[in-house]
Amino acid sequence: MRLENVRLRYGRGGPWVLRGVTARLDPGEVAVALGRNGAGKSTLLQLCAGVLRPVRGRVVDRPRHVGWVPERFPADQPFTVTRYLTAMGRVAGLGRADADRAVDRWTDRLGLIPFRGVRLPDLSKGTAQKVGLAQAMLRTPGLLVLDEPWEGLDSAARGLVPELIDEVLADGGAVLVSDHRGETVRLPGARHWTVADGLVTEETTTGDPAVAVAVVEVAVPAARVAGTVARLRADGHHVLRVREPTVPPASAAASPPPAPAAASPPPVPPSAGEPAGGPARSGRTGEVAR
Amino acid sequence: MSALVRMRLAGFLRTGRALAPVLAGLLTLGVLYGGGPARPAEAYGVSAVVLFPVLAWQAKILLDVEPDVQRRLARVLVGPTRDQAAGLLAAMVAGVGTVLVALGFPWLVGAVTMPGPGDLPLATVLALGLWAHLLALLPAVAWGALASRALTRTAGYGVAVLAVGVVGTLALGLRGSVAPWLVPPVLATARALAGSLPAGTALLLSGWALAWAGVALTGYAWWRRTRP
Repeated sequence: MRLENVRLRYGRGGPWVLRGVTARLDPGEVAVALGRNGAGKSTLLQLCAGVLRPVRGRVVDRPRHVGWVPERFPADQPFTVTRYLTAMGRVAGLGRADADRAVDRWTDRLGLIPFRGVRLPDLSKGTAQKVGLAQAMLRTPGLLVLDEPWEGLDSAARGLVPELIDEVLADGGAVLVSDHRGETVRLPGARHWTVADGLVTEETTTGDPAVAVAVVEVAVPAARVAGTVARLRADGHHVLRVREPTVPPASAAASPPPAPAAASPPPVPPSAGEPAGGPARSGRTGEVAR
Repeated sequence: MSALVRMRLAGFLRTGRALAPVLAGLLTLGVLYGGGPARPAEAYGVSAVVLFPVLAWQAKILLDVEPDVQRRLARVLVGPTRDQAAGLLAAMVAGVGTVLVALGFPWLVGAVTMPGPGDLPLATVLALGLWAHLLALLPAVAWGALASRALTRTAGYGVAVLAVGVVGTLALGLRGSVAPWLVPPVLATARALAGSLPAGTALLLSGWALAWAGVALTGYAWWRRTRP
């Protein structure tokens, strides 16, 4: 899918929200839209999903099947979860049997089985958001557009989002995500689009404070520092610095010294897999930003 | 698209909001037919006139009952053209239900006389009644669409557009109007049904109503391009 010099404003004479955006997202790619509140992230996502049409420019090669997860699921509807998802599956073009199978699959995957008979207005915010995720996945999308998909989800459900993204990518689809919570550390291979001043610029993951990064402190034996640094750099990580080796006192050899303070860049939310007790240390310590 | 039509109709019927226009329609018909027996063809013409605002209001309610974000979700799934068409079709189907009630109502309450010798046959009378109501329904759905929240954004503007449309249709449709072609031929149809209805007049009124609704719905589709 390509955006070619796309310009959009919401009213004649109003300010341009997007001013000449050109971007490309190929199958198998995931891009994260970042930017401050009101920068135009949701507008960009709705353009890509096909909700909005550009005032000037064009969006080309949009996949036929698009799944869109809005920031807030519209729960004020007189349907139960099952009835709503089945209807949305039918609207998406699935036959009745296929729609039923898809609803069974995604209510199971997203932990919605206990809520199948519950009316949408009675759902909690997080559960309603899961219904929003489910409706977008009923028919495997060629483009999945997620507007703050982690909003309102509990920690267990937040881990499901990268799984869904991986499934779409594995099927040859593309994914566009917006995020302001730093959750994109869960998407290590994502491209980063920064939305600012009506333009979209692609950022590298290094050295830009606007891009959420995680700092992982690793400890390696002094003799393996050079090899470890080389491997990390080869994997695309950014090695911030390598500290001088410390020689622990003999009495403390069995118990590592306390963790040193984190170095720049400023602290960011830890990734899901980070151990609660912090990294172990011995010998020489390096800090690596992903 | 039929799945989206069914979903929107289900959403309309499952909320209590469907009741208001139905009750308003029954009340209007009750007042209309409360004055004693009338000739059925002429009564149907007046029934179409008094139901015009109810049908427009019903169309607006049906199109507004769906949350804005849900309407956009449907647009992503089926595309803008089918999204709009499904909404209009759902409003038409709901309107046809009201029209069928209006056709049967006077017979149920004994407010019309059975055709006698020299009168039009019952089937012809019913066909004329259906024709008159459909000629009102199509522009009413178009007005309801123009007054829907997707275009007007706020409840106040929506009511204003609906009121202007309904009052304008009645005011400019009066005999001797300076610009009767600006509005759908709802009153003109009622006047035609009060007398003999030549085929040419029926065709002219049908074409007029279709053309007017076509222009209004084209405007609706054009505005909806930037108002999902």
